[in-house]
This record gives sequence, structure tokens and C-alpha cells, in this order.
Amino acid sequence: MTLIEVLKYLSLAGGLFFLLTMVAAYLTLMERKVLARIQQRMGPTYVGFKGILQPLADAIKLITKEDLLPSWADRSIYWLAPIAVLVPAVLMWVTIPVTGELVLSNFDMGLLYITAISVLSVMGLVMAGWGSANKWAVMGGLRAAGQLVSYEIPFIMSILAIAMLAQSLNLREIVFQQNHFAFILKQPLAFFIFFTAGLAELGRIPFDIHHAESEVVGGPFVEYSGAHWAVFYLAEYMNTFTVAVLTTLLFLGGWIWPTMPFDGTLHNLLSLILFMFKTILVIYLIFWIRGTFPRLRIDQLMAFGWKILVPLSFINILITSSILFFADRNPAFSPISHWIMSLTSLMLLVFTVYLIKYRANANGDVDSVRLVSASEIRQNILKKNEVTH
Amino acid sequence: MLKNIAKIGFVEGLIVTIKATFRKPVTAEYPNPDKRQAVADRYMGFPALMWDMNIQEPYCTGCMVCVRNCPTQCMTAEMKDNPYYSDGISGRRKIIDKFEINLGRCILCGICVDVCNFDAIEMSHEHELSKYQRDGNRADLNKLLDMGKEYQFKLNWIPKQPEKNSGTPKIKTKKTEVNKASVFPILIDVKKGNSDVKMEKPTK
Repeated sequence: MTLIEVLKYLSLAGGLFFLLTMVAAYLTLMERKVLARIQQRMGPTYVGFKGILQPLADAIKLITKEDLLPSWADRSIYWLAPIAVLVPAVLMWVTIPVTGELVLSNFDMGLLYITAISVLSVMGLVMAGWGSANKWAVMGGLRAAGQLVSYEIPFIMSILAIAMLAQSLNLREIVFQQNHFAFILKQPLAFFIFFTAGLAELGRIPFDIHHAESEVVGGPFVEYSGAHWAVFYLAEYMNTFTVAVLTTLLFLGGWIWPTMPFDGTLHNLLSLILFMFKTILVIYLIFWIRGTFPRLRIDQLMAFGWKILVPLSFINILITSSILFFADRNPAFSPISHWIMSLTSLMLLVFTVYLIKYRANANGDVDSVRLVSASEIRQNILKKNEVTH
Repeated sequence: MLKNIAKIGFVEGLIVTIKATFRKPVTAEYPNPDKRQAVADRYMGFPALMWDMNIQEPYCTGCMVCVRNCPTQCMTAEMKDNPYYSDGISGRRKIIDKFEINLGRCILCGICVDVCNFDAIEMSHEHELSKYQRDGNRADLNKLLDMGKEYQFKLNWIPKQPEKNSGTPKIKTKKTEVNKASVFPILIDVKKGNSDVKMEKPTK
């Protein structure tokens, strides 16, 4: 490897890191603005024009803040944890394409790489919890581990359905397969599962039980302050951005659907703008959900993951694979196979919504708290008396 | 169909928040003078002294009735002879010389306004206590008059007893001596309102 190559890779890595940092910083501003508007406030307005420099002010504040170390902390683990969270967040971007040409390294096994790397950040959270020597932090770290492990399954299973449809694990190839129809039209259920499980993996509201302020006072980040806390925050927003980009690439057709007019540079520019627009829409959806829903209890979270999302993702894979199999066997079936696929997926999605609405606490007496009105209790007692007499 | 979808719990919540997003924010950006919320007309802020626009002097004569009635002793006042009176411009014999209110001590009770006989003091709309100097909240006569003028212009203030408290000098007419003897015969004519004579109430 020559010196020039080394310099090239270093500058690419530095540029990627800088870009991601800026994106994450401005996502914090966007989140604050969106949440503020949902609550009819204005959000940051003072730093710069309409608060546009607020992230920089926050960064300066956090970097100059004192970095505290609890006296009982396990030092090396405590200081390594933020890096263990940040590195996988950046590593995922090695293979994520932004347009047809803009990609650092086009892996053929890109999806596998991404799913493998994305689990690594749990390690950092558990390390942070353990290293802080704080009971809230340990609890938060373990919660994070449990939650992320259980939501990893539906996450990967929904990706698998897409990989089957596209016949590839290469992200660029998957996007090029969508030039007629985005996969959200063929697989609405997979989109729902992917997005929900992705939210849970990010640990955003309504799935943020691992740093629930009212229960574990901030979870693994309790003891962190200053720059190290900022690194955790940075990684969290980078992951938010990554999930939004992945949703755009896998389900919304990336830069290719609908196809932009013109040729050459203008075409590429328009495609990039389309891609960014879709990503911003997905990010807005994430923030919108954050501004709407309350936090789930841990048993509700686990029940939702294991009783609804995991079985549904398996059913989805079974149906998708069998339709693909039959479409492959008899060519007469293949033109309508897409329609059948989207219809079944849509029906399953409706079924999921039904499950969430009516059957989420089907055996709720055992594992969840339910509010009962006094009149209901009275009527139950009356009924019992009638039966006994 | 659409209505049924909107009734599903989480969709309903999302609709509520997206509706709120496009409403105007209710925030008043407080320290910015253009964007803060206006106070109501009947708002009671700190007391301020009123300015008589006709003669260009304060209404206050320095009678000290507000100073004596103030529950927190936050004000002091001194009076002086009114130079305008000797010039014949004003009808006020005495005028305020020095007046000071410690606004930090004022409890905004409004007793000074109630007891004032000259409509000279009013609760203005001024209500901010943050100052850069330690004695920044000691309002002297000029400051109080400025506060008062602002209030007067804002509300088109007029005194509660305009005739009694107008400062224009009264044209003095010599009281004609009333000859009681000549009055006596017209005692029955009560309607003329001669206060010297008392009438007995007619019994049933």
C-alpha cells in the first residue's frame, strides 16, 4: 500500500466521520424543532438565524464540560464504552450507497454486514452499564441487551424477505431491483416490521425503556457527562439516520423510484435530492412517533416483540418464499404474483393492526396492569351472585 | 373506512399530533420587546405619578397621604410651594418636590391609588424588576412621571374627578354676604337649597 493510498483512505474516513457528525448534530436540532412544533412551542431560536447554530453551541458546551469518573467505576471499560457504541455506528456506513456511484465500498454481502455490525452497539451499552458501577446503569444496560436481542430477529427477518425479492444482498443491487415498484408496495408488512423493530433497536420512544428517565434515570448514560456523553448521543443519532437511510434504500426505492428525468449530472443530482427527501420524510416519521406515543412497559415491549412481530415476520417469509417459488415454477403465474404478494402482505398488516388494537393484552390478567372501573366490578359481583343462587 | 382507520388508537394519536404541528406556536419570546405578550388594560403594575397635560405639571401635591397609608413604607415624598401658582398659571398651591418609590419593596396593593385625593397616582403597566444596578428599582420623581406618562398615553387616561382635580386656576368670586334676616322669610322655599337652614321633616 503506497502512501498516497493510505492518505486517500484516511481522508475518506475522516470525511465520512465529519459528514456523519454534522448530520447527527443537525438531527438533534431537527428533532427539537419538530417536537416543539408538535407541542406548539418554537424550539431553539436564539443561536444563529432561527437557531441554526444551536448544535454547534451544544457541542461547544458539551466538549468544555467536565468529564466525571465515578470513584467505583471500572475505568478502562467506562472509557471504552462510548467508543464501542460509536464505532459500529460509523462502520455501517462503509457499504451504504447514497446514489449509484456514491459508496465507499460496494460489498456483495452488504446487508449481512450491516445486520452483523448493528448488533455490536449493544456491547457498548452493556459495557457502559457495567463500567459505571451504578445500579440504574446496569439495569439499563441489561434492558438494552434484552430489548435489542429480541428485536433483532424480526428486524433481520423482514430484511430477509427483501433479500429474497431482490435476489441479492448487495444494497445497490436491491435498489436497482426497485426501478418499477418500490418494495413497500410489495411488502407493506415487512416495512411495518422493519420500521417498528428498527425503532426498537434505536431505543427511541416508544421503545426507549433502556434509558427511561422515570425508571432507570437515563440507563447506561447516568454517570457520563461532557464529551463522552456527547459521543453516546452522536452514535444514537447516527443510528437514527442509518435506519432512516436503510428504510429508504430497502423499501422506498432509494434514488431510483420514481425515476428522475434528464441525463448525466442533472439526473444524478435530482436522484440524490429525491433520496435525501425520502430520508428526511422517514426521519420526520420517527420524530413524529416520538412526539406522539408514551413509553411501553418492559413486559408490553417483550410481548409485542415476541408475540406479534416475531411470528408475523416468520409468516411473512413463508408466504413470500412460497409465492416466489410458484412464480419461478410456472411462468403463467409470475405476472400476477406481485399482486398476490402485496395483497397478502396488506391483509397481514391489517391483521397486525387488529392484533395491536384488540389482542395486545389478550391474557392481560396475568402479565399486565389494567384499570377497571368500579361499576364494572360491581356488575361482575352481581353476575357472580346470580350464578351462585 | 377512513373514519374507522382514524379510530385505531395509535393512528388517532398521530392525527392529533400532526394537527397540532400546523397550529401557530403559543410561545411569547419574552425578553424581545416586540414579541412579548401585552398586558390587559386593567393590569395593576407598579404605582406611577400622573402628569397634568393642561398645565404641564404633576397632579401630585405631596400631601403624603399615600406615604402614610403604604403598608410596606416603600415611598417618600416632599412638597414645595408651586411657582406656577404664584404666576397664576396653576390652581395648585403646593406641588411635589421629591418623590421616591422603592419598587422592589412595593407589594402592588393599590392602597396609595385608593387614598389619593388628587388622582395623582395610578397603578401603571410597568412590572419588570430586573435591573443591572443594585438600586435600579428606586424610582425617583422623573422616572415615576415617565412611567405615568407612558400609561396615560397608552390608555387615554383621564382623572376620576376631572372637575375637582383640574389644575386650572379657579376664578375667584367674592362670596356675597347673605343677609340672614332677608333670607328668613323665604325659609319655606326649600328647593333653592339654602344650606344654612334646616327643615324639619314633615310628620305624617
